[in-house]
This record gives sequence, structure tokens and C-alpha cells, in this order.
Amino acid sequence: MSEPASASSIYDLGYRHYDGPRTGRWGTIATLYTGSVRSAFGLGRRTSSKIIPFTLAVLAFVPALIQVGIGAITSGLDADVEIFEHEDYFGYVQIVLVLFCAAVAPELAGRDQRNRMLSLYFSRALARSDYALARFAALTSVMLVLTLGPQAVLFVGNGMAADDLSGYIADRWDLVLPILGGSALVSAMIASVGLVIASYIPRRAYATAVIVGAFVVTLTIATILMETLDTEYAQYALLVSPAVWDGVVFFLFRVEAPSGNVIADASFSGWIYLAAGLITVAVALGLTIHRFERIQV
Amino acid sequence: MALITARGLTKRYASVLALDRLDLDLEPGVIGLVGSNGAGKSTLIRILLGLVEPTSGSARMLDLDVVADGLAVRRLVGYLPEHDCLPLDINATEFVTHMARVNGLPPAAARERTAEILRLVGLFEERYREMRGYSTGMRQRVKLAQALVHDPSLVLLDEPTNGLDPAGRDQMLDLVARIGREFGISIMMSSHLLAEIERVCDHLVLIEDGRLVRAGSIGAFTGRIELLTVEVDGPVSGLAAYLEERGYSSRRGLHTLEVDMPDDGAYDVIRDGAASLGVGLVRLEQQRHRLEDLFREEADDGDPARV
Repeated sequence: MSEPASASSIYDLGYRHYDGPRTGRWGTIATLYTGSVRSAFGLGRRTSSKIIPFTLAVLAFVPALIQVGIGAITSGLDADVEIFEHEDYFGYVQIVLVLFCAAVAPELAGRDQRNRMLSLYFSRALARSDYALARFAALTSVMLVLTLGPQAVLFVGNGMAADDLSGYIADRWDLVLPILGGSALVSAMIASVGLVIASYIPRRAYATAVIVGAFVVTLTIATILMETLDTEYAQYALLVSPAVWDGVVFFLFRVEAPSGNVIADASFSGWIYLAAGLITVAVALGLTIHRFERIQV
Repeated sequence: MALITARGLTKRYASVLALDRLDLDLEPGVIGLVGSNGAGKSTLIRILLGLVEPTSGSARMLDLDVVADGLAVRRLVGYLPEHDCLPLDINATEFVTHMARVNGLPPAAARERTAEILRLVGLFEERYREMRGYSTGMRQRVKLAQALVHDPSLVLLDEPTNGLDPAGRDQMLDLVARIGREFGISIMMSSHLLAEIERVCDHLVLIEDGRLVRAGSIGAFTGRIELLTVEVDGPVSGLAAYLEERGYSSRRGLHTLEVDMPDDGAYDVIRDGAASLGVGLVRLEQQRHRLEDLFREEADDGDPARV
């Protein structure tokens, strides 16, 4: 063959201007959203970044898979073995959800502050509030994988174990809305609280510790207050703790809190928990937006 | 179309006046922003990009107000920050594609242009490696690539040669010069090194302590006082007087004259003068003042203690 031409003459096409379509505001937000979801699971990064998110995600599915397995084994018998119920599920995986949020939220809200990439984002056609909202939407979606995912497995698994999937779905249709609503609210609550903490604490290790602390400590304190103080005011501590998740979920599934659960001793109606949950999301999201509006980059 | 205009642009931090009533009118081209560290170069660039709000005054870029029309104007520009800004745990292709899409390119176009731009800045096989392993020069080139990938009308380069070795510095300056001259993209590049600005820019803005010292084309800075050194084999006083009569000022050395050259007619006058006075011309040497000489003179003028 002829002698090889220099690489530059082959590859250097020079500079070309771009006259094609541009995606505008929603394209920018969508890019930020998908980028966030990818970085939450460590996609496009080295393998070690994937281990923690994927391990925790799998753990969140374990109870559902156990239930489905039991259902499969006992399906020939005339026994109704339901160890893990829909309305109790978030209680079983609560610590997994918290750890996942503590691992991922600093990636989404702190990383751009640490490596100063925020100055690239905010010098583009990207409103600072849109940045915060895209991150929140992404973290909520990622949390939904761990909340709605196992619930869906549980629902379909139980249906298949009942030998008559379409009949089961028709029978238990009333569960679908509580599953969707409960998963969405629990995900949004975890995501908004994790995100606001991570946005104010850029250092990754500190943010992770504070997020875990925020969920675990508030619940512990509320429980202790409920048990030791003989006053009805103690129960208000529940409203700023993850006990709200249970309150909302039991309300949506229209079941009483089982005795032994801390909220069984409180006298709030379900609406109060729902309102507390929504206010938590609104306040945390507002503070997150405020943080990114004000931050010097 | 005006590229950048500023009217009374002022930025006050708690105790420091970073910009002090700056007025600017800049046409499209390659603009050098010069000043010592802390002169206000970065503050000006960051105000133009909407990263910092001015305390008072206004600025327009590409005929859009940088505060009121911030999002619209930022669609049209690219920015290379002075500081580190790269996520080191992903590779250059992933990063630049992401930035292209943040800037509104559809996915296929983003991938295509990322490949082109990374080639253009000289990143080849390395583009699929984690940026953690990149040298300072490679990181600067990635920063330049993300500033260009969406085909902006103007790029703002804040100290693009910062931290580079001499070879890397040369490459970066060559790239900047190509972007301005071949690609037709306007550039505002800050530097504290005049030689760099002189090499790639056609316009110059000099700021000190947040105030505009001078702005104009490089030609107006240097061409204005072009000099001709004339060496003769006899006394120079006669020729100096001859030139003086015809409107050309000069300064005398022992056997040389430094003649100010407002136009090319000076050559003819010198030749005629030498012939009529009967002195031999030994040497005629054109001297183009360098920017640094110019500012050294000005600094000396303004500070009598140093004379």
C-alpha cells in the first residue's frame, strides 16, 4: 500500500459551524436529569462507583423476592402466607432507602460544588432553579426504583402465586393507587431531605453522615419523647421524623397502624401525616433552590 | 453589531472595589483582556456570564443585556474558567457530550461535534480515559473543547494558559488564534502576560484596579509610534534639523537618530536629506514598539519617583 498519510490530514476536518436544531430549556433540563440518574448509579464511571448503589438497590428488593419465592412454593397449598405486606414494606427497607439516599444525594447536590463544575452549568442557558429541580426530579426517580420497584414485584409476584394473575389484579385493584401514591411520596420525602442536606454540605463524607443522622436521629428522638413525656405535645416530634412515611402509607392503604409502631400511640389523623409529608418536601425543595440561587460559583 | 459594551459597570465586594465604573465598547474580534492579578479581569468575565451580579451599571454582550436577557445571551457563548472545573471521574468524551447537550444540542449532534472538537484540540486515544489521569495541558484542552462544542458566537477564556509549560502554552495560543481567525468566533481572552495577548489578539483592553486604562486595536497601540533607527557615518545634528523642518521629530544618539514614523513618506525625506547634506546612510532599521515597552513608558511617566 501507499505510505500512510499523517493522522492529522486524515482526521482533522477543521471546524464546522452548527446550524441544526437546538433543544432549548427542556432539552437542558432533560440532559441534567438523565445525567443525574446515570451518576446516581455510577453509570459511565469506574466499576467501584457502581457497587454501593447497585448493592443497596438489590437489598431493597430482597424482601419482595423472598415473598414471591414463598408464594411460589406455597402456591399449590391452600395457604395464604403473606410475610411482607405492601403497607409494611417501606418499614422493612427503611434503612436501605436512607443509606441509598445518603450515598447518592452528595453525588447529585455536592459534587458540582466540590469540582466547581457549577460555574460551567450556571454560565449556560440554565436557570439555577431549573438545576435544583432537575436534580430533585432525578433523585426522586432513582428513589422510586427502590420503592415502587419492590412494590411492583410484590404485587405481580403475589398475583402469580395466586395462579390467576388477571383475577388477582382485578381483586386487588384497590392496592394500585396506594402503591403508586405511597411510593411517590416516600421517594419525594427522602429525596428532598437528602438533597437539601447535601446541597448545604458539599463535603461528601459529612453530607452522608448528616443525612443518615437526620433520618435515624429524628425518629429515635421522636420515639423517646413519645415514650417518656406524658404530654400530647410530644407526638408533634413525629411529624418531622420518618414516622411520617408510615403515617402516610397506612393512611393511603386505609389500615390502622399496628400496635408497636410508634404512630399507633399518636392521635393524628392520616391527613396530618399527608400534610406533614408534603410540607417537608416543599420546604426542603425551597431551601435547595435557595441554596443554588445564592451560591457563589 | 457590538460584541461587548459596558456602561459604568461597578462591582463592590465587602471591602474591595473589583470594578470601578467601567465603560467598554468592543467590536467582534479577538480581544485581549490584560491586567495584573486582581485587576478585575475575572470579575468582568464573570459579570458578563451572569455568574456575578454587578453592584451598579450595565453590560451587554451580543446586543443582549447580561442580566435581563441572561439565559438568551448564555446560549451564544462559551466559557473556559480560570479554575479547575472538570469532573475527574468520567472521560472527556462523556463530559464534553454532556456539556454539548446542556447547551442544547440534540444527542446525535452532541456526539458528532464532541468527536470533532476533541480531535481539534488534540485529544485522541485519551478521550475515553478517566480525566483523573490527564495532565494540566490535557485538562485545559478539555476545558477549551467544552467551551466550543456548541458552536458559540463568542468564547470567554479566563487565563487559558494558566499552569501550562512553554510547549503547552504555545499549543493553546495557536488554538486560540485559529479559533479567532479561521473559525470566525469572537474571543475575549484574559491574561496577565502581554506577550500572549500580542501574539493572538487584534484588540486590547487594559484594566488596573478595576478601572479601564486603555482599549483599542493592537495596531493602534504599537503602530502609532513606529520608529526608524537611522545610522549615518557623520554628525547627526544636520539631518535631525533637516527632518525637524519637514515635520519629523527624532531623538539623537551618537551616530544614530530614532525617527518617529507617522507615514512611509519619512523614507524619502531621510534619503533626500542625507543626499543634500552629503552624509552616508549606514543603516535603516524599522522598530515596531512592543506592547510591554509601551506600558513601561506609561508606568514611568505616571510615577516620577521611578525616573
